[in-house]
Amino acid sequence: MARPALTGRPATESRPAPPVPAGRRSRGTRLLLLLPGLVLFLAFFVAPLSVMIAISLMRGNPIAGDPIVFTLEHYRRIFGDSFYMRVLWNTIKLGLVATAASLVLGYPLAYQLARTREPGARRIMLVAVLSPMLVGIVVRIYGWMSILADTGLINATLMKLGVLSRPLPLMYNEFGIVVALVHVFIPFMILTISGVISGIDESLEEAAENLGATRWQAFREVTLPLSLPGILAGCLLVFSLTVSSYVVPILMGGFQYMTLPILVYQEIAGIFNFAFGAALAVLLLAVGLSVIVLYYRILSLVGQGVLQ
Amino acid sequence: MEATARTRGPGWRYLTAFNTAVLIFLVTPVFIVVLQAFNSGLFLTFPPEGFSIRWFVKFFTSRHFMAAFKVSLRLAAYTVVISSIVGTAAALVLVRQRFWGRDFLSAAFLSPLLLPALLTGLALFQYYVLLGWGRTFTGLLLAHVVVTTPYIIRTVTAVLQNFEVSLEEAARNLGANELQTFLYITLPLIRPGVMAGAIFVFIVSYDQFPVSLFLVQSGFETLPIYMFGYLKYSFDPTIAAASTASIALSLIVVLLLERIFGLHQFARL
Repeated sequence: MARPALTGRPATESRPAPPVPAGRRSRGTRLLLLLPGLVLFLAFFVAPLSVMIAISLMRGNPIAGDPIVFTLEHYRRIFGDSFYMRVLWNTIKLGLVATAASLVLGYPLAYQLARTREPGARRIMLVAVLSPMLVGIVVRIYGWMSILADTGLINATLMKLGVLSRPLPLMYNEFGIVVALVHVFIPFMILTISGVISGIDESLEEAAENLGATRWQAFREVTLPLSLPGILAGCLLVFSLTVSSYVVPILMGGFQYMTLPILVYQEIAGIFNFAFGAALAVLLLAVGLSVIVLYYRILSLVGQGVLQ
Repeated sequence: MEATARTRGPGWRYLTAFNTAVLIFLVTPVFIVVLQAFNSGLFLTFPPEGFSIRWFVKFFTSRHFMAAFKVSLRLAAYTVVISSIVGTAAALVLVRQRFWGRDFLSAAFLSPLLLPALLTGLALFQYYVLLGWGRTFTGLLLAHVVVTTPYIIRTVTAVLQNFEVSLEEAARNLGANELQTFLYITLPLIRPGVMAGAIFVFIVSYDQFPVSLFLVQSGFETLPIYMFGYLKYSFDPTIAAASTASIALSLIVVLLLERIFGLHQFARL
């Protein structure tokens, strides 16, 4: 039953079921270990989300004891009002711009992180990418406010030197929001792409070069297409994180710029309009899910070679 | 490393220059916050006006900041303990037992990581209000446990998959009962995974913003929520001092655990 201890067999990734002799009763008690997690998951994750979706389809305030009527009116109101459509478009636009900027700035770093041969350089890059993730989001936004605000580092210094008479509009607009969004979410892009590139055999690029390709051609024709799944996964992750971000657009936008998460918060915590707020939240969820569907669609096209 | 180490062309140098700029972009805001905390002036300019710890004094003597700081520490500590126990127990079953629906359950348990945290917080807030609970510390704690338990499940699963079941079998064959096997064999072996997850959970809970946003009671805000509210109306460097203290705390937690448990053992996770 027990394997010989000194066969020197390497641990394998997937293994068959443990052949530990276990009676029915002990198997039952072991499954009990799963119970706290299961209860927590069902009662405080599945149930609240189901309730949220249900509320979005109801008329009247369930707390006030109004009669429950199922209706699509909240969704009709969202899609029939140009204000909500503009907020939706603002949110998606911020997500698209921030994702594109993260890809352009992050890909080269991900490539070098995966391909560098110096452990020291690799460590410096990893620390610089990971350390902002250990700092709270409010702290990081405060950092950007100190740099970009009208009284921030850049404007205050330039005005003190007499270069500017009025502060540059670096914040309280889309530019400031995008800068901070990219800063907060680019590590996810870099780490995802870097993981995929380090899995691509470098000798493929060498082979292309030996066959007469330039370095740039070898990268463009070999590594770039092979890293496409990483690019897609990174973009998906960054997009879904940016569209659901609340604190970045509200602080960097100076409470002027309206996005879907800000609107959801106002409706629910501000004016307790649960049903309509829940419908907006479901819309936000749908934006994220549609990107995931798109991701798998594109991935299957890549798999079929359509995009290469 | 490789047999045929290719020489790096000029392209590599351009790449390095570009990436250096990106790395500077990444670390600058954090660096600025620390600089601002020690700057004597109200606004940071270059060159800085002078060294001062007045903002730290203001932070550590502010009743509101200290109250929020304590709420955050207490919440993070409770969250770590509960998540570690619940997550480790679940991971043990999910990796070691075979039962119907196991793969689905493993994926489902990690799903709170995929949902935007803002939506989790919002859904829980509505749920608590409908249940008549409103905003309570317990509700906030449960929300933190829900979003952090997946981290423990993930790190413990990684460790469990990498050690030989035969060690447990050997203990059983030598007459140890199930509890003894767990305490003397399994637990010491998975400790690195539990600890790595616990550190992560502490930092995620301590810095948590979107989940807490809907659920904090007014007057009992966590530090990130209090800082957010403070930033709405004032912009003085007390925030920088609070931030620097938080950064230092994260560093201390990581270093302390490294000293006690040897973080390097599981740095590869």
